[in-house]
Amino acid sequence: MGTILIVAEIQGGKIREASFELASIAQKLAAAGGHQVRSLVSGKGIAALAEEFAKKGGGDVYAAEHESLGSYCVATASRAIRAAVDASGAELVLLSNTPSGWDVAPRIAAALDAAFVSDCFKVELEGGKLVCHRRVFNGKLDARVSTNGPRTVVTVQPGATSPFAGSTSGKVTPLAVEFPAGARARFVGIKIAESKGVDLSKADIIVSGGRGVGAPEKFREVIQPLADALGGAMGASRPVVDAGWLPHHYQVGSSGQVVQPKLYIAAGISGAIQHLVGMKTSNYIIAINKDPDAPIFEVANLGVVGDLFEIVPALTKALLAAKG
Amino acid sequence: MKILVCLKQVPHQDARLDVRSDGSWIQEDNIKFEINSYDTYALEEALRVKDATQAEVVVASIGPDRVTQALRTALGMGADRAIHVKDPAVEGSDPLGIAKILAAIAKAENPDLIFTGFMSDDGNFACVPPMLAELVGIPSATAAVQVERKNGTLSVSREIEGGAQEVVELTAPCLVAVQTGINQVRYASLKGIMAAKKKPLDVKTVADLGLAGQVGAGAAKIKVEKIAPPPKGSGAEMLTGSTDQIVSGIVGKIKELGLL
Repeated sequence: MGTILIVAEIQGGKIREASFELASIAQKLAAAGGHQVRSLVSGKGIAALAEEFAKKGGGDVYAAEHESLGSYCVATASRAIRAAVDASGAELVLLSNTPSGWDVAPRIAAALDAAFVSDCFKVELEGGKLVCHRRVFNGKLDARVSTNGPRTVVTVQPGATSPFAGSTSGKVTPLAVEFPAGARARFVGIKIAESKGVDLSKADIIVSGGRGVGAPEKFREVIQPLADALGGAMGASRPVVDAGWLPHHYQVGSSGQVVQPKLYIAAGISGAIQHLVGMKTSNYIIAINKDPDAPIFEVANLGVVGDLFEIVPALTKALLAAKG
Repeated sequence: MKILVCLKQVPHQDARLDVRSDGSWIQEDNIKFEINSYDTYALEEALRVKDATQAEVVVASIGPDRVTQALRTALGMGADRAIHVKDPAVEGSDPLGIAKILAAIAKAENPDLIFTGFMSDDGNFACVPPMLAELVGIPSATAAVQVERKNGTLSVSREIEGGAQEVVELTAPCLVAVQTGINQVRYASLKGIMAAKKKPLDVKTVADLGLAGQVGAGAAKIKVEKIAPPPKGSGAEMLTGSTDQIVSGIVGKIKELGLL
């Protein structure tokens, strides 16, 4: 049978948790389909990490050690991955759906003229064929996607499964990667956005509004008063910030602030994955939305299907009355 | 300078998503469509370059008759020319097939820059833009939240995790797939909409692009077999009744949590 190639990712000097999750998926597929598992570990000063990955699910590891691979860049990363695909003859290439993974994986698939499925939460073999499960319509529907052809590239949602817990006895082989001069994409650096405004991660209570709030002034008139009545902070979902209704520091979600308050109230937020990732571990979640099928109700403890413009002001009034 | 913007028309964000009886996709009859939200930001980014440099902005889209409306909207916002790939042979294409069609257009148009949205609001694959760049042989950057032009290079800030941004420099010609919120998207003015009626809108077939037999269901390497609402977990405890009943239910819960 063929080879599964895991493209491991390094973050902050360590192999990412998501890469061990890929190992878990690869080892399960290999056990079912008789594949061999190989991995690519690339970067600068990676010898120990390559050894570690070979023992923790990565199998035989190609170690691509190079100054140019120290930080992610589409040009250098795709060279390293292509070299590992060539060396392994992989029929399935697994990457994580991270900012690096989603940037480079489709290019690899196009270059190989391979089947490509992104952001999967489940990958399995059915009758020898690879079947992927992923969300569509911003999390509102699940899709079952079948693949065919000799080669497949798949990206997997971080956190989709638990990291590989067993051990493997892979060996590490150096992989030479050529970097021709005159690359047309160059890594420049990382900018850390200065944090300003409220640090939502410290708030005990957060009241967030979404697209359903409808207009910037409604945040002042409807959402903020409820947050004030509870002594909490106001937050928002991405579409609100994108529309310029509120500044970015109000944004809760994977590209904003990740919060875990004692109480999170979501009003007019349907619950796109990117928002859920930022708040689903809150201690208690109350959701108010007009759409009974909104994904937010799946993570909420208490839900109300209704008009937030009726319920939120009435709730604010009742809370103020209850406090006396 | 020439800029190509790739647009996808998708079901309106507030459209009812009913799954077809065979489960293959959603029911598209009688629902509203709109330009994919990410793509409106891509178009705006291109129009800003046009405002500064007089660049020509060409918009391209693939799909049935209804796509004309999306292209007319883009022309109304300020794009100069539109290309509509309308051909039943496109049906069933996978994202790589779509990328091949767009690559054929890009090779014929030879733009200096290509702007696209980061992903589509329906399929959420986020893969056509890098595939297109690979097929054309140009560099690409995804999830762009800031783009600065300096002569022949673009400095692109990509949104990565934890609120950080990764800066990458691309040599033109190149492709940038933009994240939502990168700019404030303009509306088409009445004057713009009137002017758009006279702007060229070319309709092309797959054969016109030299891709007969290379795209469509027969060439697709992946297939969305079935879509369905996600399995319901235990979900939330739902409060029903009058507004007063609902409110007292919530207040009771907040008291119970010791937060009042």
